[in-house]
Amino acid sequence: MLKKIECIIQPQKLDKIKEAFGKLGAEGITVSEVRGCGLQRGYKEKSLSSRPIRLLPKVKIEIITEEERVEKMVESIRSLAETGQIGAGKIFVLPVEDALRVRTKETGRRAIE
Amino acid sequence: MNKGENLWQTALQQLNETAKRINLEPWIHKKLRKSKRELTVSIPVKMDNGSVEVFTGYRVQHNITRGPAKGGIRYSPEVTLDEVKALAMLMTWKCAVVNLPYGGAKGAVVCNPLKMSAGELERVTRRYTSEIISIIGPEKDIPAPDISTDSQTMAWIMDTYSIDKGYSVPGVVTGKPIAIGGSEGRSKSTGRGVVYTLLNTLKHLNLDIEGKKVIVQGYGKVGSVVVDLLSKEGCKIIGVSEIDGGIHNPNGLNVGKLWKHKKREGSVAKFKEADSITNKGLLQLKCDILIPAACENQITKDNASRIRAKIIVEAANGPTTPEADKILKEKGAFVVPDILANTGGVTVSYFEWVQGLQSYFWTEREVNLKLRDIMTKAFYKVWEISLKEEISMREAAYTLAVNRVAEATRIRGLYP
Repeated sequence: MLKKIECIIQPQKLDKIKEAFGKLGAEGITVSEVRGCGLQRGYKEKSLSSRPIRLLPKVKIEIITEEERVEKMVESIRSLAETGQIGAGKIFVLPVEDALRVRTKETGRRAIE
Repeated sequence: MNKGENLWQTALQQLNETAKRINLEPWIHKKLRKSKRELTVSIPVKMDNGSVEVFTGYRVQHNITRGPAKGGIRYSPEVTLDEVKALAMLMTWKCAVVNLPYGGAKGAVVCNPLKMSAGELERVTRRYTSEIISIIGPEKDIPAPDISTDSQTMAWIMDTYSIDKGYSVPGVVTGKPIAIGGSEGRSKSTGRGVVYTLLNTLKHLNLDIEGKKVIVQGYGKVGSVVVDLLSKEGCKIIGVSEIDGGIHNPNGLNVGKLWKHKKREGSVAKFKEADSITNKGLLQLKCDILIPAACENQITKDNASRIRAKIIVEAANGPTTPEADKILKEKGAFVVPDILANTGGVTVSYFEWVQGLQSYFWTEREVNLKLRDIMTKAFYKVWEISLKEEISMREAAYTLAVNRVAEATRIRGLYP
């Protein structure tokens, strides 16, 4: 089954992950600049709920891969994205129903390999 | 009082206390104090030397209100009907805690498997299956491995049952080899479940897993998996023991080397990069987390006051006696009870049964994720009850379990 690994990480970690692209075994990668916040509402210190939430710049990486490769890939990305501090990001794994390569009409696993 | 009677009295006491706490209707309480069915069978078997031995076997179904009965089969020279009754009741509560649609059962054959050949064990297993065949089945009662039984034993039971029916019935047992319908991830499931439970515990206590000092008593089907997974999570495994003694290294054991040593020598004892320690001594070492993963009655009124761990996760069945439990509670130790912590095994057994009924099999990743989901839900439920009613995690787990069985009983009503 195909899965999507969606990672929200610190922008400065993108280069390292891009470099590791080949080693990760990813067949493709999509990157976007996004903004967001987590439990801390965008503050370093425990914020008072009266303060407005702050949307901080983050990078979102999306990778589609086969289920059996997910675990290793997630662990590699996690270790590369780690900052030792809060706000280092999150990684999500989602099911992908199908994939289609536009040029060849290949579907499923063949569409990404 | 022998061990079996003791276990049965403890099981009744747990139920009585829970019944009082939740104000259980007397008729339901009375019903739950008794097994639904207790079958004792004779198992005549031709031994290798030509003589015939007649073994005794049991299958007890404690309750089937929420679904078919589920529970292991153990081979032991000391097992008694009381022990089997107690363990069957415990299975009812375990299945209810994690909300599996099962009741509880347990089975046993009084025999010494260490003194029997593979052929003799196969004949005992097949004849025992044949003697209990009328009360087992995928929709009635589904056995699984327990002490001194394994996937091969389950394969023999499955084969005997299937021959009797005239077609393959993989759903009659769980813990089967993968080749005949076993589930991916089943063999590591109890250990994995223990680890999920510990991770949930730490999360709720606002603690980090990284660098926690852990002692694991037992390095078998459960303990070895716990050691491996916890070291990957960043824990320091500082002590491990088996029946013939333990090892201790305050700086953390190299678990990869330990596994190889065990494979080579058959035991963790005499592992070079650690000091030797007795099983008793191991339990009393300074550590953050203690995981008894061996057998019952390890933490008793005699040693409970000397246990220094702040968190105890019961991977074994009944490792803490009720008296010891009270002492630990007074000391402020956080005990995660067996009926919550070690339900990973029966949960993946449930997955195996579901996969067998559908004849559609899942990947190991799928199994593990579903296991984590079920164990986490159960943990949250028990934690919530424990906070709300200001009771221990054990009391909360029993409250949840007995309430679930009682609700089903109430809704179904009494026939006629």
